[in-house]
Amino acid sequence: MAEDHRLRELMREYQSGRFEAFDEIYASLAPALRRYLLSQCRDAAKADDLVQETFLQMHRARHTYDSSYPLMPWAMAIARHVWLMDRRTLSRRPWAPDDVTAMELPVKGEAASFVERSEVRRALGQVAPARRHAVIQHHLLGFSFKEIAERAGIAETAAKLRSSRGMAQLRSLLKGKSK
Amino acid sequence: MTIAPVELRARLASDYRPVRALRSPWARALSILPLAIVALIAAPVAFDVRPEANLGWLGVWGLSIAQSLIGVLVSGAALRESIPGRDWSRVAIAVWLVIPIAAIVAITMLSWQASPVSLRNQWWLVGGICFAGSAATALPVVAMASILASRAYPTRPLIAGSLLGLGAGLMADAGWRIFCHFSEPAHVLSAHLAAVIMSTIIGAMAAVRFSGLRGEKHALHEPVGAGGDHGDRSK
Repeated sequence: MAEDHRLRELMREYQSGRFEAFDEIYASLAPALRRYLLSQCRDAAKADDLVQETFLQMHRARHTYDSSYPLMPWAMAIARHVWLMDRRTLSRRPWAPDDVTAMELPVKGEAASFVERSEVRRALGQVAPARRHAVIQHHLLGFSFKEIAERAGIAETAAKLRSSRGMAQLRSLLKGKSK
Repeated sequence: MTIAPVELRARLASDYRPVRALRSPWARALSILPLAIVALIAAPVAFDVRPEANLGWLGVWGLSIAQSLIGVLVSGAALRESIPGRDWSRVAIAVWLVIPIAAIVAITMLSWQASPVSLRNQWWLVGGICFAGSAATALPVVAMASILASRAYPTRPLIAGSLLGLGAGLMADAGWRIFCHFSEPAHVLSAHLAAVIMSTIIGAMAAVRFSGLRGEKHALHEPVGAGGDHGDRSK
């Protein structure tokens, strides 16, 4: 709650002319935005680019933020839009062989954790979309069930149910992999 | 602490200036009100007013004013939808789309019951005039609402545009309803409702097109800095 008020205040300062507030906003929001974008694109380098693009768009749309509302849903909505715009642009652009150079390759020392993470991501991809979104928003991004319910237009209990069923499905998928 | 990449910071600093936060969408929707009043009185003033004998002042003007106000409300909903993070849930969007249509149907049936005036001849010509007139009157309102919406940052332009087109259609048809002498549901629901639907489609298309132009202008694929420049600075 205190963090939320601090973020609102920082954004209000950023709107009214204190550019330095950007650094604190970036420090507070970037990790959560990156986790969200990574869960969508599943490519670390791409997620980093999208985080920066999100902050660029947040800067351009800063006048649309109303400080009587929490900052995180506003930032998340812009991040989601950036991700969708990127996906749409990519789907219209033919794949170029040069893109190989931009691919992220795992280094030897990180191989084990990379495999674990990629397995979780793959399993998460198999979870039903509505449940997956509930799991990501609650367990990765820290949204409350009330917030998730408001965004999806469902009851709070339905949001809890989706999240718990999503986690159960994720566990069983990962269990199946380890056997 | 995660530190902002230098390139990003420099890019933002280069065009940084203080901004004033947008007023609430409902307050901004009030700026459409003058245009709604013009749309309401344009056809009756320019052409004619339907006979009030059976419908009465409330049936003619009262219902149209109510329809126009619903249009302003729907425009407010579109402006709220244009703000990131304030987007409506699916249920709310369905409600915003269904209520105006239901209102038009209800007003049509009320008018038909109070004063049944059938359209016997040249139904296609009269229908065409009502459709074209109503749709054309909606255009300036759609343009005005689109400008207001574009000042925000619609992340779902199709929905925002549909809602503002629907709102504009309601306001325009509220005026044409006062002029049109025929209350036959077949005429009203085909010509007048079709004009509202046409306005909704125009609003959606305009918003999607405008959003596409904004996307091109903002050049999404000009990376600010190298991808690996972010996040790894956590200490």
